[in-house]
Amino acid sequence: MRDYIYDGTFDGFLNCVYHHYYTEHANGIFTKDRYQANLLCGYTEVETDVEKADRVYRAIEEKISDYDLRCVYRAFLSSIPNKEMIILKYIVYGFCKGRQVSSLHADSIVNDFQAILKKVSAEAERMLQFVRFSVMEGNILYAEVEPEHDVLELIHTHFCDRFRNEPFIIRDVGRDKAMIAYQRHWYISAFDDGMVPVLSGEEEEYRRLWKTFFDNIAIKERKNLRCQRQFMPQRYWKHLTEMTQLPDSD
Amino acid sequence: MEEQIMQKLKILAESAKYDVSCSSSGASRHNNGRMGNAHAAGICHSWGADGRCISLLKVLFTNKCEYDCEYCVNRRSNDFPRAAFEPDELARLTIEFYRRNYIEGLFLSSAVEISPDHTAEKILECLELLRYKYGFVGYIHAKIIPGVSPEILHKIGLVADRLSVNIELPSSKSLSQLAPQKKPKQIFAPMRQITNTLIEHNSLVGPGTMFKGQKLNTSEHYLGKRPVGFGEDASWFDKGQSESTRFSGSSLPEMWAPEEEYLPAPKRGAFAAAGQTTQMIIGAGGESDKSILTTSENLYHAFKMKRVYYSAYIPTVASPKLPDIHTPVPLAREHRIYQADWLLRFYGFTVSELFQDGSTDLDPDLDPKVTWAIRNLDYFPVEINKASYEQLMRVPGIGDRSAKRIIRQRRYSAVRFDDLKKIGVVVKRAKYFILCCGRYYGDRKFEPELIRHSMLQMENGLQMSMFGADGSLQLGTAEGSSATLTDRPATRALPKKTEKSTTTTQPKHPKKSTTAAHRKEAAV
Repeated sequence: MRDYIYDGTFDGFLNCVYHHYYTEHANGIFTKDRYQANLLCGYTEVETDVEKADRVYRAIEEKISDYDLRCVYRAFLSSIPNKEMIILKYIVYGFCKGRQVSSLHADSIVNDFQAILKKVSAEAERMLQFVRFSVMEGNILYAEVEPEHDVLELIHTHFCDRFRNEPFIIRDVGRDKAMIAYQRHWYISAFDDGMVPVLSGEEEEYRRLWKTFFDNIAIKERKNLRCQRQFMPQRYWKHLTEMTQLPDSD
Repeated sequence: MEEQIMQKLKILAESAKYDVSCSSSGASRHNNGRMGNAHAAGICHSWGADGRCISLLKVLFTNKCEYDCEYCVNRRSNDFPRAAFEPDELARLTIEFYRRNYIEGLFLSSAVEISPDHTAEKILECLELLRYKYGFVGYIHAKIIPGVSPEILHKIGLVADRLSVNIELPSSKSLSQLAPQKKPKQIFAPMRQITNTLIEHNSLVGPGTMFKGQKLNTSEHYLGKRPVGFGEDASWFDKGQSESTRFSGSSLPEMWAPEEEYLPAPKRGAFAAAGQTTQMIIGAGGESDKSILTTSENLYHAFKMKRVYYSAYIPTVASPKLPDIHTPVPLAREHRIYQADWLLRFYGFTVSELFQDGSTDLDPDLDPKVTWAIRNLDYFPVEINKASYEQLMRVPGIGDRSAKRIIRQRRYSAVRFDDLKKIGVVVKRAKYFILCCGRYYGDRKFEPELIRHSMLQMENGLQMSMFGADGSLQLGTAEGSSATLTDRPATRALPKKTEKSTTTTQPKHPKKSTTAAHRKEAAV
């Protein structure tokens, strides 16, 4: 048993899976910044080898299923601290059970894995709901989000199709990167404050209009803030136009 | 200019807020225009202070109304600020909101200005601008005003995803009392036209899983000359009602006869791809829960509507025909009716099953599914490892998702009692009604009264914790509001046994079912 330390990439993680089988069983898998030395067993820094990663990748696809491969990737995008071991256990179990593994909901290995999977998928869905664009100069749409999990790349299909004729930027503030897209082409790149475009002239007006609508559509006799918070958790409010205080018009 | 739009938006959103539906589900479409697409499951973008979801820009085109319906804020005799949009103005506003990802599309309703046709033409103009001038591919829900001509309705259907005609009241009696200018015929004629046109477009789907596996787009479901589906007990066909108020073939214009309207296979999804819905007010007339749900069931069977929405009556205007202005809003009742409605559409229940013992109202203290289960203990306990999907769906605490998961897992290994929680079953509710590998896990004897008692205790604890001291949910249970609904016993609206039981009737999520049409309650 030993600890593996990898570079935080998906390929790096697949290399750990490789070493789990061909070198020594993993006791834990960590990124460098998270690792605290362990007295009971040694550690190895895993080098990211694309070829080895590719072998594991194809093995998951063939021996478990392509559905599970996609699930593994999705789960990997989460920010749960011990996600690596949960995913590793699922892969190991999957190699024993084959494609039926995703149906064994009651098994604790599968259950833990599907729990993080659910969190990532829920967050991605919330992004479709809670992204708020501002129209910037040059008709660029710009949005800031702070998702808990790294779901930026899971939402491109939806937005690239919807706004195929608008250039748009969705920036993940916490991870300093952004998805930049236009006419169905997209890429993810590093992004910082200096790159934010200038707000267009009429943007403030539409924000006020939206807030007016938002405030007037609620039925005050049915006020239920608890229910509102349940569906729209407070951690998203910071970037929601309707939940922030807007400057007065003058 | 800006101020003017701001004012209009304020007034016309305020006037539209009593429309319940806000779902953007049912249509799936890629961007084949300039901007937008439609997500099959619908997307909610925000939640208002009342906990209802905001998915569409929900406004009235105008609130200047010719009609004088008793229950409505926009009634002619109400002294109230009035406004109207210009078609292009509203289309632009929709586009601007849409591209900021505030909304999924537009929900356009209107008061009746001058005549139904005049208003409908304005709505049509706005929607056509939106679709053809601005190339909008997002979701459009258009309200059809009773009495509109079939040609205009058809044109609206070609640009909208969902159409709805509000039935407003659960029986023709209260309709004639409270909305004398609206006639049942005017409401049913457009509903019928929509269903028939959907069949022609091969895109009638029906509510929930009610007609799963059945072919609906055939001539036998076509609503022809006979009034279809409305049985004897439906209050719409009260005895003594004159022939002309029923919708029968003789009173329909020639062009709706199937022979003439049957076009050769029009493009699927081109007409109201997301089907039709309707809305009913709860607690304005004196109807029982049973008659409300019977009307819904009939609507589902006859018109294959996607959904019936319910809205608890909020007294806005004083009228001798209506409940007193201080009547508490029957939110708890609305919640139970929604639960029952879900049982009809997704769980294979019928209205007669829900009211087996001759009662006419749902039990305010317990979920209708639990009530049914306790009354039918001979159906239980069911063995988790053998029961069919339909049987599992009848167990309180098991929903579509957990039933499917149980069945999926059963293929590979037996489901043990400890697994149920992980599968997503609400074990504390389900345990009274199931066997797991032959063993019963309910902590009480298998007797209706005992089970009911422990269920109530459980609900009590649950509800107490959900409604803290802040009392954010105002159901009017405070002392002093002793007013009752006209025909209803006081205990129904104001269950005041002890302080504890008062809270039991308060729904967990009073609006859960309307927040998104796609969000099935995991386990009712």
